[in-house]
Amino acid sequence: MADANMGLLSAPLTFNWTLSYRCNFSCSHCYSREEQAAELGTADIKRIVDILAAKKIPFINFGGGEPLIREDLFEIAAYAAEQGLNVSMNSNGWLVDADNASRLAAAGFKSVGISIDSAEASLHDEFRCMPGSFVRAVAALDHLRRAGIRTTMSAVISRINYRNFRDILDLAREHDVSQVYLHNFKCSGRGFKNREELDLDPGEWKAFYLEALEVKNSTDTPAISFDDPVIASLPGYDADPLVKGSSCGKLSLHLRPNGDITPCGFIPLVVGNILNQDFDEIWNGSDVLQKMRNKEARGKCAGCSSYGDCLGGCTARAFATTGDFSEPDPHCWK
Amino acid sequence: MNRPQRNTAIVWRHEAGRERELLAAQQQGEDISEGGTVILVHQGTMHQLNLLGGEIWLRCDGERSLEQIINELAGEYEVDRGELEQDVRDFVADLEQRGWLIDG
Repeated sequence: MADANMGLLSAPLTFNWTLSYRCNFSCSHCYSREEQAAELGTADIKRIVDILAAKKIPFINFGGGEPLIREDLFEIAAYAAEQGLNVSMNSNGWLVDADNASRLAAAGFKSVGISIDSAEASLHDEFRCMPGSFVRAVAALDHLRRAGIRTTMSAVISRINYRNFRDILDLAREHDVSQVYLHNFKCSGRGFKNREELDLDPGEWKAFYLEALEVKNSTDTPAISFDDPVIASLPGYDADPLVKGSSCGKLSLHLRPNGDITPCGFIPLVVGNILNQDFDEIWNGSDVLQKMRNKEARGKCAGCSSYGDCLGGCTARAFATTGDFSEPDPHCWK
Repeated sequence: MNRPQRNTAIVWRHEAGRERELLAAQQQGEDISEGGTVILVHQGTMHQLNLLGGEIWLRCDGERSLEQIINELAGEYEVDRGELEQDVRDFVADLEQRGWLIDG
């Protein structure tokens, strides 16, 4: 078995795909609520699926916006699954009733993630600015499971939930959720505007991750994922990632509703348009992607013994707060 | 295992360009044992196989016997046949234990 790092892949492994920025919710931390972009028609979306299949990109994950806002989601997903892509999505769960869960299963969804920010209903509803959303999100998990779809749960860690993340894991267990993503807080969109109210300070992030890693290493059900490069130096972190540092621009890319490609959903820099430009030229030639893949240690990162593992932490957070990919991740406690 | 076959639950991709780069590096005398040519994703975790591992993986189609795979590789690699056979058998046994290969 070969070891972690390798050269640039021929294409990303995952495309996180925002089909629409429209959403039936208005969450306090949303990175995309104030984004706007023209939406493509079904035919153009299928053209994109053809490109992704030709490039042998194995995974697409629909996010948003709320993916189920688009009525052609089922048709798009079924087409993608027919082309051999592994299709998943993240949803707030509001529109996932028994009927839609069956339709998602029939369309070939491999897994569906539901966003639940707290095991306390009132807190979740308040954060999501949508009364009744907790009950419907939990019901969505059950509808999906009964339809035979693997379920995951996503919680953005913030000041409202970081002390009670164990309750979120208990909730996941009660509903047979296979994987829980404890997402790191991103300073993008409303997350940037509300960061002083919602974001933890570096010391709190360290304490949270130390505790969460201990929990992760003591249980398999549900599997717990963090996807935050800033934790690479912590004891208990024994992942052997394909790439060091942020995976965006190396293992994954993001598609906006009009076909524009950005490195990830949290970095609003367009590196090309998948319908109008050659994908290989974008992937191999984009200056932005090259800079992200070849960061230089700046500030406190220079000389830090952990830099070789974390590569400066989350590139999106560094860029959002300083305008420079190579600046240290503001969550870093070192 | 008579006819090793890739578990269809494993998502994988052959990195042909990377393989060409590694072969070129090998010809220059560089150590390429850590370079990956096949990427596998299983239960949310990503793995990579090195050049020989990738060559074996690509041949595990459930049609070829283990003996055939060894013979094909013996024709490609200028190494001791016994050593190669042991490497292939160990590799296949490891992947079978992981559940990535099944008997076709």
